[in-house]
Amino acid sequence: MKEEIARIQHSMAEQGYITDRATATAAYLAITLRKPLLIEGPPGVGKTEVAKVLARVLDTELIRLQCYEGLDVATALYEWNYPKQLLHIKLGETSGHSIAEREAQIFSESFLLERPLLRAIRATRQAVLLIDEVDRSDEEFEAFLLEVLAEHQVTIPEIGTVRATHEPCVVLTSNRMRELSEALRRRCLYLWIDYPSLAKELSIVRTKVPGIDERLAGDLTSFIQGVRRQRLAKTPGVAETLDWAHALVALHADSLDDDVAIETLGCILKDESDVRHLRTEIEARGASALVAAGRDAR
Amino acid sequence: MDVTPATSIDAVRALAATDVGDRDDVYFALRPVFVTRREDLEPFDVAFDEWWSVARRALGETSAERKKSRTNPSVIAPTDEPKTAATSTYLTRWASSLSETEDDETVPIAAPSTRDAAGTKDFQHYDDADLRGLEEAAARIVRRLQSRRSRRWRIARRGARLDARRIVRLALASGGDPIRLVRRERKRRRTKLVVVCDVSGSMDLYSRFLLQVLYALQHAFARVETFAFSTRLVRITDALAGDTYREALDALGRASDGGWSGGTKIGESLESLRVGWPRLFDRRTAVIVLSDGWDTGDPEVLGSALREMGRRAGRIIWLNPLLGSPSYQPLTRGMQAALPHVDVFAPAHDLASLERLAAHLSF
Repeated sequence: MKEEIARIQHSMAEQGYITDRATATAAYLAITLRKPLLIEGPPGVGKTEVAKVLARVLDTELIRLQCYEGLDVATALYEWNYPKQLLHIKLGETSGHSIAEREAQIFSESFLLERPLLRAIRATRQAVLLIDEVDRSDEEFEAFLLEVLAEHQVTIPEIGTVRATHEPCVVLTSNRMRELSEALRRRCLYLWIDYPSLAKELSIVRTKVPGIDERLAGDLTSFIQGVRRQRLAKTPGVAETLDWAHALVALHADSLDDDVAIETLGCILKDESDVRHLRTEIEARGASALVAAGRDAR
Repeated sequence: MDVTPATSIDAVRALAATDVGDRDDVYFALRPVFVTRREDLEPFDVAFDEWWSVARRALGETSAERKKSRTNPSVIAPTDEPKTAATSTYLTRWASSLSETEDDETVPIAAPSTRDAAGTKDFQHYDDADLRGLEEAAARIVRRLQSRRSRRWRIARRGARLDARRIVRLALASGGDPIRLVRRERKRRRTKLVVVCDVSGSMDLYSRFLLQVLYALQHAFARVETFAFSTRLVRITDALAGDTYREALDALGRASDGGWSGGTKIGESLESLRVGWPRLFDRRTAVIVLSDGWDTGDPEVLGSALREMGRRAGRIIWLNPLLGSPSYQPLTRGMQAALPHVDVFAPAHDLASLERLAAHLSF
């Protein structure tokens, strides 16, 4: 493996993010080739964390744009400070300036509210721009985003064109709620992050919950691996595994017995029918059987 | 997988950044460049395997040196045994087996995407494993149909919010006093759905899939009314409103009380729908009829029922699973009578055809 990629993987691990070769290589290529990185996968596997960790590894600012349906240019790029503008107009009423002059005054830098995309473009050093859950925005916004990613510049009618001096490293995440356009996909490098393997998840738990009892870590990880294979309304992600690990440690549980498991199901299952189903399973077969099933399958 | 010249350039640049002697390095470097979606992952693996062995031979290395060190899911070959149709319909089987428990809950889910990359496996060939993954896929597709609803703003005289931008501009003329207030409201696309599903014997192969779709639609859209028919029409909106798909099927089984077998009377059923629920149909309503058009009733009745319905409804969409077969011609009298009054005539035999439904639902 090339030294730089190994170094990135190692640095990410140092920052507490256990990852594999695929992720490290994709991150390395995103930085080197200066292409955006599109990360897809089920919820809770650590897609957003890649961007956060990358910012720490590169020792730079993380600029985050959280997408939602209806997100428009004003909220993503810039907005004028309307109250300030109105006040300024009012105060300058008798100053004798022409309308054109006053207009030039109020549409200037000091009345401009920078939103994430503009901040990323105007950053004084290369930042990491995280566009989170881009599938929640709509097609119009996606088209606008594509333009920004392609040109690395935006046009503000009243001010002019703003070009990026230090192109940000862009990471996009998607939960696949909506099909993203081909154009956007082709512009990006693609990474699919899936639920981790037993070994990987175990090492994540050991890293993030230091001091956890070895056997407990193994048991709960195997249990979750088994649970994931079942048909659930909301499959637990790695975030849930870690919550559960913390909860069990806080309860001073040294092993995963039936009672503790049932009590803490709410940490990993967020849907009532899932909780009922698992509770029945544990009562019928016992938590240890589920642990064994999770460990042995595959 | 789309490969453009730009992709090739990126591929070369990616290779420049890696150690070309190491198979895994090359694999992990090329994959993010060529793959654009999860479904591309397996075809890429296959293609890379082939390419690598050729490249190796060209470089004079033996194939024994190929390392299998990467940990990727192996390609799962799709099974192709068509499910033999039972004599009774899917729903009657469910009605009679309400106490059956499925004890194979821990069987791994083969999501349609791993078995059927482009969503083109015909539903009549689906086996139990396919069907289990289908619920999630159907929900996902329907959510995408739903997301055509817009939350953007547009100017409106009595909107709930103020449009600050315009107000400031206009205030310039009045010395900073915001005299003219401009309001805005959210744009709303208000498509209503009326879904009518043929559950008679001839549709049995597709019933299992279509009911999943109906269930997903019911839970995704705000305004849906769903009906099922074979010889007579039954409203199943409430039955489908169950919290889980299984509950919905239970309720459907109970609602059927013997109505799901025997012949098909499409015209009579549609007419009873039009007459029984007249308020359902207005300009914003999309009517979706799911049927293969095999009608044992009077085609005249079918034609006139659709014509009258089309007068009030915004759009009539007829989805026919048989259209999935390239040799199918809508030659039955029922289909012939119906077609002139139908706005959209489209297939509904696999996931891909469902996705294309999105375009027809915004009007």
